[in-house]
Amino acid sequence: MATNSAAGSSGRIWVVEEGERRSPGIIHVVMMALFIGIGIVVGTLGSLAIPIGFVSAFWPGQAVQAVGSIWFGAWGVIAGMFFPFISNAMSGSAPIPVSAAYLPANFIQGFLAVAAFKLLKGDPRLLTARDWTIWVVFGVLVANFVGAFWGTYVLSWFGLITDQARIPALLGWTFGNSIPSLIFGSILLKYVTPMVIRSKAFVKGWWA
Amino acid sequence: MARSEFAKKTLLGIVPADSPFYAFHPVTRLAFLFVLSVTPMFIDRPEINLAIIAMTFGLFWWGRVRMSDLKKYRLLLVTVALFMFIVAYLAPGDKAQLTPVRLVGLTLYWEPMRWAFVSYVRLMAMLFGAILYFSTNRERDVLVGLRTLRLPFQVSYVAGLSLRSAGMFMEDFATIREAEQARALDLDALSLREKVKLYTMYTVPLFAVALRRADEISAALYARGYTLSGRPGTGGKRTDYLRDKSVLRVRDWVVSFGLLGTFVVIAIVSRTTGVFSIQASPLIGFVEQLLGIG
Repeated sequence: MATNSAAGSSGRIWVVEEGERRSPGIIHVVMMALFIGIGIVVGTLGSLAIPIGFVSAFWPGQAVQAVGSIWFGAWGVIAGMFFPFISNAMSGSAPIPVSAAYLPANFIQGFLAVAAFKLLKGDPRLLTARDWTIWVVFGVLVANFVGAFWGTYVLSWFGLITDQARIPALLGWTFGNSIPSLIFGSILLKYVTPMVIRSKAFVKGWWA
Repeated sequence: MARSEFAKKTLLGIVPADSPFYAFHPVTRLAFLFVLSVTPMFIDRPEINLAIIAMTFGLFWWGRVRMSDLKKYRLLLVTVALFMFIVAYLAPGDKAQLTPVRLVGLTLYWEPMRWAFVSYVRLMAMLFGAILYFSTNRERDVLVGLRTLRLPFQVSYVAGLSLRSAGMFMEDFATIREAEQARALDLDALSLREKVKLYTMYTVPLFAVALRRADEISAALYARGYTLSGRPGTGGKRTDYLRDKSVLRVRDWVVSFGLLGTFVVIAIVSRTTGVFSIQASPLIGFVEQLLGIG
């Protein structure tokens, strides 16, 4: 019974109820800043825990990008774009010019997850198999593949890997990042989302 | 009675309050960051990038940064080098176009190995430039720098709050870890899988704390009349204490323009001449002679 009602409510989370007024406010700006802060900590400590350098074998930062974007819409996407700048520099993973070139990948890694959940009306509390599928396919696998595709292009552009090494680096990057994203992101969505959706910072549309 | 200050807690550690870096305005220190972390992009010659790394370490010492704080990057230096050289060995490119070299029983290809070395040295030069900045500056310094550069209030406020919150979350993280260590947690004895599991367990509470803090901070901002536009709710212009209290002196202008001028000259020379190319490198030439190629 509980499962049926959960399945029935899936996707309703994005609907603005009658009489509900939503507009961007200071809370969203503050949440974006705090999320950049969390991203810096998670990204830096993750990279320092398993230091492979610019091709991350364990970068839970992608989970922060995807989950933050799902919870806080465009504010989360912006936070996900910019925190790697600082976390990469602090952890020694990538210098600032390389991080700047990663910007489109960081945008995609957050944007794809939130766009998929909003367009396909998935529930970020991961209540049904459909929600899980949306999360795993778009939030984890596709997002990481597209991010890694751009990222490895940047690496070969900067001469950090040879052109011939792009495919193995792409595969390593995609799966290396997907595993922490899957574990870490799923836990966050499952257990922290109920708390987030009750807060004023939760974004149903793109900005509010 | 004046309050004495012994040390400044920077984004990556602690420096004494009388660190020579603090004789300069935060904007000058931002110029250091920009020049040290971008200039190596225009330089292929490894000996010049090695000199930049040596100079950066000189600045660490001069700025009285605890050199022991840099130990955490040792493993990274090794793994990045291993990764780059292994990639150059396993995926060298079109072998017909490359120069084979027999070394310790292996057939290596000179051009990708040379490029891996050049790129590695460049990468390290850029990384240590950024690490120097974060080791010698507090989030307040970043904020003052951005405000002095006249970035919009919203941008500098978000940047300042992000860095401050990163510091707060780092402390929360350390508190949780120290509490567990006090209960006999031995991190060295944990396997990689257990470390990853523990890491995930540590980070989940950070999100709960962030939600609470967002509420508290936004309520405090609202109570002080802050708006999304950055203008006071009552109209008029907001006083910028941070920018007004920190004045650019002659030495800041001289050093900043000197640094940026050097950068511009290097960029132009790099694009118009071959002075910074691999071909002009005596070190690479020496190694080629040693290997009997070139």
